[in-house]
Amino acid sequence: MSAPNSRSISDGSSNAEDLYLEAYAFTTAAALVGSVDRKIFLLLRDGRNLFGVLRTFDQFANLVLQDTTERIYLDAEGSKSLEKPARFGETYRGVFMVRGENVVMMGAVDIDHEDEHLEVLQNIPFEAAEAELKAIQRERVQAEKQKTKSLLSRGLINDFTKSDLY
Amino acid sequence: MLPLYLLNSAKSQPILVELKNGETLNGLLTNCDSWMNLTLSEVIQTSPNAEVFTKIPEIYIRGSHIKYLRLPEQTMDYAKEQNMINMEQRNKNQNRRGGRPNNNSGNFNRRRNDNNRGGNYNNRRGNSSNYHQSHGAGDS
Repeated sequence: MSAPNSRSISDGSSNAEDLYLEAYAFTTAAALVGSVDRKIFLLLRDGRNLFGVLRTFDQFANLVLQDTTERIYLDAEGSKSLEKPARFGETYRGVFMVRGENVVMMGAVDIDHEDEHLEVLQNIPFEAAEAELKAIQRERVQAEKQKTKSLLSRGLINDFTKSDLY
Repeated sequence: MLPLYLLNSAKSQPILVELKNGETLNGLLTNCDSWMNLTLSEVIQTSPNAEVFTKIPEIYIRGSHIKYLRLPEQTMDYAKEQNMINMEQRNKNQNRRGGRPNNNSGNFNRRRNDNNRGGNYNNRRGNSSNYHQSHGAGDS
């Protein structure tokens, strides 16, 4: 009789504990503490994709990545044709220390499945991928310049900066 | 180990700095501070489009302009080693000053030292209050 009673009480207290922990979930850079020594993905403001092991961070979300690779994803050759696969190029970069303000997003990488999405893509040399990406970005900047001009002539603002290419 | 601590232990090593405008600077890290301001020596500056290369003997970089830094592969291990050496040195100094030998970190030792100092301060204050008391007695 008393045993089930005590169990129900302990259940109640564990729920209360959960609530307590949720109330104190880290929302600032301290939230990164759970990602230390894990493989993470990083998107920078300039559009770079970095994959590496997070080693340390600080209150500004400055991040140190070890064994980093940089990867560029590109659409299929020509246009977005259905016959040809999309492409990617990657290169090893080593130790990175990224200033927090340049980070757009960050996520955990499941190391058991991280390469699965690459199987349907065509691996091309990194230099070629980089050159192509640069050309695409140049075009984008030119297009945005035009847009800014035409919007400005109508008294409107185009919210674009050259350094935001993500 | 904080990122800036790691940067500190990478002094005199070759690093690559990319600025927010895409310019890159290769050189030896001579100094850095807590704002990530850097001074490099024997620098090769590369323009954002990687077309112009300039050799510069010495350069100062304001931290807020940095996008990222690339450090040598062995930096992490080196920083750990340095940390260990510093700890040991601190422990040794502590022992020489007559502290009890222990296996605690340098930080703990320092705090214990502060406590001792606090004790001294309290003692002194105790004496001075005695002094005031005796004065008071003399006045009355």
